[in-house]
Amino acid sequence: MTTTSATPRLAVRHLTKRFGALIANDDVSLTIAPGELHCLLGENGAGKSTFSACLYGLLQPEAGEIEIDGVTAELTSPAKAIASGIGMVHQHFVLVPSFTVLENIVVGTGSGLRLDMTAARGRILDLSRQFGLEIAPDRLVADLSVGEKQWVEIVKALYLGARLLILDEPTAVLTPQESERLFAIIQQLKASGIAVILISHKMNEVMRSDRVSVLRKGRLVGTVTTKDVTRDDLTMMMVGRPVAQVHARSKPGAGETALSFTGVSLAKGGRTHLKNVTLDLAAGEIIGIAGVAGNGQDELLEAVAGLVRPDSGSIHLRGEDIGALSVHDIARRGVGYVPSDRFRDGLVSDFSIAENLILGQHWDERWRSGPFLDETATRRSAEQAIASYSVMASGPDMLCGRLSGGNAQKVILAREFAKARHLLLCNQPTRGVDIGVIEFVHGELLRKREEGCAILLVSEELEDIFALSDRIAVMFRGEILGIFPRHEADIARIGPLMAGHAHGAAA
Amino acid sequence: MIERLGYRIEPRSETTARGRTLAVGVALAASLVLCALLFLAVGVSPFAAFQSLAQGAFGTWRAATETLVKATPLIFTGLATAIAFRARLWNIGAEGQVFAGAMFAYWCQSALAGSSAWIQLPVIIIGAMVGGGLYAGLAAILKTRFRVDEVISTVMLNYIIVFALSLLLLKGPWSEAGGFFEQTAKVDPGSILPILFDKTRLHLGFLLALIAAAFVYLMIRKSPVGFEIRAAGSNLRALEVQGTNSRRVILMVMLISGALAGLAGMSEVYGVHYRLKAGAITSYGYTGIIVAILGLLNPWGVVIAAILFGALVNGATFMQIKTGVPSALIYAIEAILLLFYLAGWAASSFKLKRIKP
Ligand SMILES: Nc1ncnc2c1ncn2[C@@H]1O[C@H](COP(=O)(O)OP(=O)(O)OP(=O)(O)O)[C@@H](O)[C@H]1O
Ligand SMILES: [Mg+2]
Repeated sequence: MTTTSATPRLAVRHLTKRFGALIANDDVSLTIAPGELHCLLGENGAGKSTFSACLYGLLQPEAGEIEIDGVTAELTSPAKAIASGIGMVHQHFVLVPSFTVLENIVVGTGSGLRLDMTAARGRILDLSRQFGLEIAPDRLVADLSVGEKQWVEIVKALYLGARLLILDEPTAVLTPQESERLFAIIQQLKASGIAVILISHKMNEVMRSDRVSVLRKGRLVGTVTTKDVTRDDLTMMMVGRPVAQVHARSKPGAGETALSFTGVSLAKGGRTHLKNVTLDLAAGEIIGIAGVAGNGQDELLEAVAGLVRPDSGSIHLRGEDIGALSVHDIARRGVGYVPSDRFRDGLVSDFSIAENLILGQHWDERWRSGPFLDETATRRSAEQAIASYSVMASGPDMLCGRLSGGNAQKVILAREFAKARHLLLCNQPTRGVDIGVIEFVHGELLRKREEGCAILLVSEELEDIFALSDRIAVMFRGEILGIFPRHEADIARIGPLMAGHAHGAAA
Repeated sequence: MIERLGYRIEPRSETTARGRTLAVGVALAASLVLCALLFLAVGVSPFAAFQSLAQGAFGTWRAATETLVKATPLIFTGLATAIAFRARLWNIGAEGQVFAGAMFAYWCQSALAGSSAWIQLPVIIIGAMVGGGLYAGLAAILKTRFRVDEVISTVMLNYIIVFALSLLLLKGPWSEAGGFFEQTAKVDPGSILPILFDKTRLHLGFLLALIAAAFVYLMIRKSPVGFEIRAAGSNLRALEVQGTNSRRVILMVMLISGALAGLAGMSEVYGVHYRLKAGAITSYGYTGIIVAILGLLNPWGVVIAAILFGALVNGATFMQIKTGVPSALIYAIEAILLLFYLAGWAASSFKLKRIKP
């Protein structure tokens, strides 16, 4: 990789972005060559998304210069950024749910009032064929899975003619297979000279880049050539300390049955989400659900949380049938639920951290004094949560919409872990959190388990599943195809099941 | 063009409360200027016009209390709209809920005519809240059970109730015996809202409106109910996932909103006109929407905006007498205010940045 010879695709000099007293990007300078895959690495709240937002014209830096292909660019709006050849896929989706895929891609792209939909459809199909992205132009975005939305976002950026593509944690929501496909696409993009900025907390992905820039507390710690460094070097640069990977764990206790599914089935919108699921989870046990996203994992957890009602079968929580209980009643029985889509299901962005921490429990005696909410009590508990989860925030009154992605996730974890006395439903708990926090979350989950809490863990990260589970269940099209004690489970047995090959006979 | 002057217009990452307050201030100033031009156009000195307007609104103790009388129903309807809009429920139906409140209060009270004020007053207050609340609740049920958009249902309900009152008054059981007009007979003296100060028309309704504002303020800011209202205004789905029944929240917000609007109808009928007729209670609901928006959906902001509107209406009559400017001009001023505010609000989400020294 030679970056000195040609004009860089992107040159950023002395970029500084402040939010009030907080300096989110402090004098950051870097260059990216055409065809380079450049990773941004840093802890939650280090300023990666802020940096990308400045490049994409969503935020205006206080100081600094941006050059694209040697030309100074005034990126005062996304429209200008797009015109300069910058494309971006956001950490949180910005698609319009009630529009079709096609409409979402072409919205705002027409010249004048008329849009040539036929031509647009043709180009989109070409692009998706060229890069092997499976998208159906006429489906409603509301009906797409999280992973499918990601493809639409990427095709949209390509459709807009990006020469520099910024991907803010794209793989956080992709399955391992989809991530592989993304990297294949990136290879092709690189071959055609498109530069890619990739933000990821996953070290194995970071190691596949050409160069890595590490940010810490808004400052650029350094830019290194990836093949010259190890993962541990990068971790040190990023966190400033080595991060332990394994946690000691005790043998599973033979607890009583905390949660049991008996023949649970659910179909909606013409699709089978759960098919005759029968499963027992003991107190003090962690069952990891492995599977490609969209195979019923979300619905499995939602059914327990009371958000969807199964068509048949029953779910018992500590011996009690919860089929007729409301979401609130179930939560009050000591069930915590970490949803996969945190900004849609988990947080009110206009609320402060303190308020989000009591969301759903705002009628509880302990948060009230008389008819009013007890702000002293909620603030005090928020301060504790901020400290113990090291949420990077100005204080309990900071609005959650202003938190970085990983820090927002920590707020949800703090609330739900506290709620879960008997059962914790965890959907992608480590999505988008940095490795220091992953270590912390793993520790917390195991501590909960020691306390006798039963945990149902859904994660795209097989690393999470293998590191934490006592038993591993594989889901495919709503069905549990197999369940193994952890020591018997390995990728060779689980992989084929995840692809739906029921007897491990890979086609 | 502006860039040649060395400035650039940039979007702000977020609009601040200060920005919005500023927008209101700018809207006020801009509408003053525009009104001055209007006055000039009809050949009246703007200075004289504004002076007589202010004099008519606040010049004497009596004028000032009269302004508050005019503001009273607008405080109620402004609060009603503000609370619904806070939860992102677009209740356009304060107008109909004012009618429903007045009618239900009248229905309850007319059965008690002759009894003591200690009985009749609580009955009209509670009756108005129940009537307005139930009528708004209808829209809530249409929304949660049948997915009828609240904008459509509330507007539709506005028409229905105006028609219903007309029917009841024209040939119906409520029409004044031997009367020519579409109105009821005078209400029983025991049901009339007491006057607060001698030789004024300022009545108990104004005090109730201030209490309502304080109540709404405390509720939104500090209570679990307000917590739900604010959460619903931002992310209803998250509230639901966390175990709050969103149907209950929608119903609750509409009930409170309708109850507040209902009080406006009661206060006009029993505080000002002493009989029920459409003319006594018309248009407060719609004006309340403007009041709520100009009051930034904040209860105290609503009180201030309502008093401002009361002052405009009250001062206008005096202005007409003194300068000959038609008092109907006031409605143009109200509209101008709103338009400038909306423009100012949009503008406050941008900022001007110096790009060259
Ligand atoms: N609008 C805002 N107002 C105030 N502070 C903000 C705002 N947006 C971001 N911040 C702060 O800026 C810092 C950097 O945030 P940013 O989103 O760039 O982090 P990040 O590196 O992308 O983290 P993550 O990995 O968690 O996504 C954080 O401390 C965040 O709280
Ligand atoms: Mg981020």
